[in-house]
Amino acid sequence: MKDWNTMDDEVFRMEARTFFESEFPREFRFLPRRMRWAECRDWYLKLSKKGWIAPNWPREHGGMGLSPAKLLIYFEETERAGVGRMPDQGLTMVGPTLIRFGNDAQRAFFLPKIIAGDAIWCQGYSEPNAGSDLASLRTEAVLEGDDYVINGSKIWTSMAHDATHIYVLVRTDKQAKKKQEGISFLLVDMKTPGITLRTIRNIAGHEEFCQVFFDNVHTPKKNLVGELHKGWTIAKGLLGFERLNIGSPRRPLQALEKLEALAEARGLINDAAFAERLTQLKLDLADLGSLYGRYVERARRGEALGQDVSMLKVWSMETYQRLSELLIEAAGDYGAIDGEVAMNGASIDVLSPFYNSRPGTIYGGSNEIQRNILAKYVLNLPS
Amino acid sequence: MTTDHDNSHAALLAQSVGDFVKRGADLPRVRALAQTHAEFDRAQWKQLAELGWLGVLAPESCGGLGLGLAEAAIVAEGLGRALTPEPYTAVAVLAARALEYSADTPLRNELLSGLVSGEGIPMVACHEQADDVAATRIATTATPFEGGFRVNGQKQFVIGAAGADGYIVSAQAAGELQLLWIPRDAAACATELIALADGRSYGTVTLRDVAVPRDHVLASGKAARGALARALDHAAAIASAELVGVMKCAHEMSLEYMKTRVQFGKAIGSFQALQHRAVDLYIQQELADAVLREVVAQLDAAPDDHMRALHASRAKSRCADAALAITRAAIQFHGAIGFTEDCDVGLYVKRAMTLSAWLGNGRAHRMRYAQLSVQAAGEAA
Repeated sequence: MKDWNTMDDEVFRMEARTFFESEFPREFRFLPRRMRWAECRDWYLKLSKKGWIAPNWPREHGGMGLSPAKLLIYFEETERAGVGRMPDQGLTMVGPTLIRFGNDAQRAFFLPKIIAGDAIWCQGYSEPNAGSDLASLRTEAVLEGDDYVINGSKIWTSMAHDATHIYVLVRTDKQAKKKQEGISFLLVDMKTPGITLRTIRNIAGHEEFCQVFFDNVHTPKKNLVGELHKGWTIAKGLLGFERLNIGSPRRPLQALEKLEALAEARGLINDAAFAERLTQLKLDLADLGSLYGRYVERARRGEALGQDVSMLKVWSMETYQRLSELLIEAAGDYGAIDGEVAMNGASIDVLSPFYNSRPGTIYGGSNEIQRNILAKYVLNLPS
Repeated sequence: MTTDHDNSHAALLAQSVGDFVKRGADLPRVRALAQTHAEFDRAQWKQLAELGWLGVLAPESCGGLGLGLAEAAIVAEGLGRALTPEPYTAVAVLAARALEYSADTPLRNELLSGLVSGEGIPMVACHEQADDVAATRIATTATPFEGGFRVNGQKQFVIGAAGADGYIVSAQAAGELQLLWIPRDAAACATELIALADGRSYGTVTLRDVAVPRDHVLASGKAARGALARALDHAAAIASAELVGVMKCAHEMSLEYMKTRVQFGKAIGSFQALQHRAVDLYIQQELADAVLREVVAQLDAAPDDHMRALHASRAKSRCADAALAITRAAIQFHGAIGFTEDCDVGLYVKRAMTLSAWLGNGRAHRMRYAQLSVQAAGEAA
């Protein structure tokens, strides 16, 4: 297998550009929402066949093992070509979590399935009464023979309707002294009897998240990741990967692409006041890339991500929102139009970055929670 | 790409900078110097030379260490942290680079050797207007005269001029840029000092028909433009490192204060409004630090002129604005005591202001970044 990291940056960039531009289906370019599995399955399999499905996984597990610099190029080129976001939780979260916390049998069973597109994952974390206060979760699992039996409900489960598997945080010891103790991390097949779904329509009119109900759902004992009652550590480890993923410049780059296209279509480049704001945001994003590179490098060396990774999530999602807001402002009267807007030969969806960036400061731990974490664990401020 | 060799240099430097720069150790001296016109003291300067820091970048043939900007950044960050008033970046980076990239002449080698040993203090005097980041707007003229030049013009914003022995001056000679050496005591060369917020000063250097002999020409034409442009970008990056040192120290002071100051029966650092503000500033600090490290590594890899300018402006823009935001917030975190002259916070606020303004402030660098980006897009189209 090729070592991409020894390749010249520009050669790698051109290979990525050519591949994404020629192979990604035209009809799904710059889709204003996440892609459904039925839409992106062929693309997923094509990436998988090329060995490009897991750019940040280690090579031994079927990833590309890209260095931070190469990974940024990979992201820049996916956004340039308008490649949509797939149900990617297996690639961004479960994979890295199993690599770090799983056992050999779990890695051998699940990782190849993720690479091959045979397992699509969703996240069973939040509950109706456990959002920011995640550790107060009440969905429970009881060991009966060789199975854990799960009862309860998870909510805001993105793309659950496309998932074949779900990872869930469950309470396994109600007598534990602290609410963070007595939580376990389980893997569950979505086909298991007792699981039902309700889709939830979001503010943009898309059905991207769901509520998942568990009614006496059995999952085999071997699907426990890590130790019983010690799932909180794994949950936090996974959140580290989630924050690294959300904290990548990838999503704000989408908005910047649109903003630059709009600026050109509307001739705003020579407007000094606009140029100043655009430049500030471009620098905010470029500088995010520098900070992001540090954490990618740490993850690549197999080091645990500390609580400081929360910085990435805060800065990335707030930069994304600022970009999406300037996009609407720069669109002027066009900024009220839903869907693609035709302007001087260009066609730009002005509102989709706004909708897509809104939940970014809420999911994965709200940005207020991230700031609490940083204040407590990184700045060591008193509580 | 760093090698083990580089890393060992970096580790040794970091160690010696850490030992030398005990936080706060320099502050009484900073306060005392601010009351004088001296700006900095030569004894301290000699000590920096003996530690080898003035020669971090200078070539080994002139007694320097011949290391990179990554190492110079370690020194500058430490000096920024200690608020050392000595003009390290102006001399050991800006002047050293301008000389290094000039023609290999006996004068250039003598000036560089003197710079490294601490015996001579050359300063670059190239700016005539504010916001002219690359110092290309030059009205100073050099008229041919007896094989050399007669120079007329005025240079501004020369930090460290109070202790300079002479200037590396840019001047136009029939459309061709010249870098010239003019000793400070040359006839008709006048230096006026303008007091800065942090007790240091800008020199305004007025040149009225100053005679410059042929052998005082350091570089001409394209070579002169290239030497100056690279030196200015490298200096902007290392001034950014000083700013990182200033902001980190100031933010540590704020955080310590928030942990000890009690109001309403609790440490004020337990209040969420203050915690979130402190976190946002910490994110600015870490962005600045990440950008700085990436930029110095990129500059050490000798990118083309365009990329070099983009990198330098990215660093100065983020580091200048982050340092201003963090030091200004430090006043607020400290409350009324933060507004007193006795409180050290003010010293950090003022140094941040001086370093931010010098060599182009955040806004000037953002505008240059914008112009360079537009140019690149135009060429690609």
